[in-house]
Amino acid sequence: MIQKKVCMVGLFGTGKTSLVQRFVHTLFSERYLSTVGVKIDRKQVELDGTSVTLVLWDLAGRDGQEDITTSYLRGAHAILYVADGTRRETCDQLPELRALVREAAGDVPEVVALNKSDLKERWTITDADEQALASTFDLIRTSAKTGDGVEDAFQRIARATLATREARP
Amino acid sequence: MTATAVAARVDASGLTDVGLKRKVNEDHFVIAALQKSADVRQTSLPDQRVFDVLRGPEALIFLVADGVGGRPGGALASETAVTSLIEYLGRAAGCIHQLDVDREHEFLGHLEAAVHEAHQRVVAQSGGKVMGPATTLTMATLLWPRCYLVHVGDSRAFYLHKGVLKQLTRDQTTGEYMVDAGAWTEEMAAKAPMGGTLVSALGGDEMTVAVGLVDLQPGDVLLLCTDGLTRHVGDERIAEILKRAPDAETACRELVADALAGGGQDNVTVIVARTQS
Repeated sequence: MIQKKVCMVGLFGTGKTSLVQRFVHTLFSERYLSTVGVKIDRKQVELDGTSVTLVLWDLAGRDGQEDITTSYLRGAHAILYVADGTRRETCDQLPELRALVREAAGDVPEVVALNKSDLKERWTITDADEQALASTFDLIRTSAKTGDGVEDAFQRIARATLATREARP
Repeated sequence: MTATAVAARVDASGLTDVGLKRKVNEDHFVIAALQKSADVRQTSLPDQRVFDVLRGPEALIFLVADGVGGRPGGALASETAVTSLIEYLGRAAGCIHQLDVDREHEFLGHLEAAVHEAHQRVVAQSGGKVMGPATTLTMATLLWPRCYLVHVGDSRAFYLHKGVLKQLTRDQTTGEYMVDAGAWTEEMAAKAPMGGTLVSALGGDEMTVAVGLVDLQPGDVLLLCTDGLTRHVGDERIAEILKRAPDAETACRELVADALAGGGQDNVTVIVARTQS
């Protein structure tokens, strides 16, 4: 059984837990409860006849009080950054978060989920901003509410971990 | 009944009380230290630090279980679940002592498997009866500084960090699920007769293991409790007691006293673990 640790990283309130809930349990809740520590879920995905269990580490979001606990990132096989299109700062801080993550987890595959695509009319990042972000990150629009892009985001992560499995079991 | 365990960095104590309304205490708790040790009887070696490789880090296990009231065999269900978990962990102790980052998945898998095995044992006890014995279960395994949590039902784990009380677990109750679904407000969930009904329990029709972890820091306080505490004592008051009490045993006594003063409707069990600052 291939198991891959995937860490969900981003500022608070970007929808990390909601994306996991949507992906693992096909559920969405409007209720916001901040994650304390790490919540761990698993989901098995099939990729070209290979079964991969993604062990999803949903980390408490970075906020003004607490930074990301980097010890949670050690041993990660991939990172799914989550940003919120309606809050520009959640995108602006991605390069800084990436530097922090790479220091702890090394150069592992990464995908950015630009979340809340169902609220596109309220986005504060422009198409140009999105394109700029896409030039440095593997970017995908998601909506935990509607499910758009969610399966794709996790599939991309799973594929990326498999592509590097020869290098790191 | 009290139990006290003092590890290098942790002052831990537990207390359980039948409460003022129930005749039987259906709660159980455990505080256990798992150690890999070497007792060197004789040696000519001048520097005995070499034997440190034979000694492993200590893991502390904290566990509370609350047999579901209103069903027969609640006490036996919680006892069976706790016993089963301890037995499983005894078999998997090697995994704890060899735990490192690359084997964390394996360890988390063991914790989940332990809960599933305990569930099966409680189910087997009922002989297939509908509404047979069932129990909640909340277990923390502290391998400093990391605290691994597995949780089923509506007992709770909290930690006090920088003076702020944070709930680590979420109740698996109808009320919580309805609020999540947007069908009820929190106020409605609190008042609804079915709001506190468990939707997941060991021995129950549904059993979902929630898994999580948190890295503790010196000065943090961990609290595990059954709902006999939280139905009478609010978060602010719990935080106040945890901050003020000079040691874990006193904190336990004060928490239980408050639950009893608040009505003592249910059995109440608490475990407090204070990390040294």
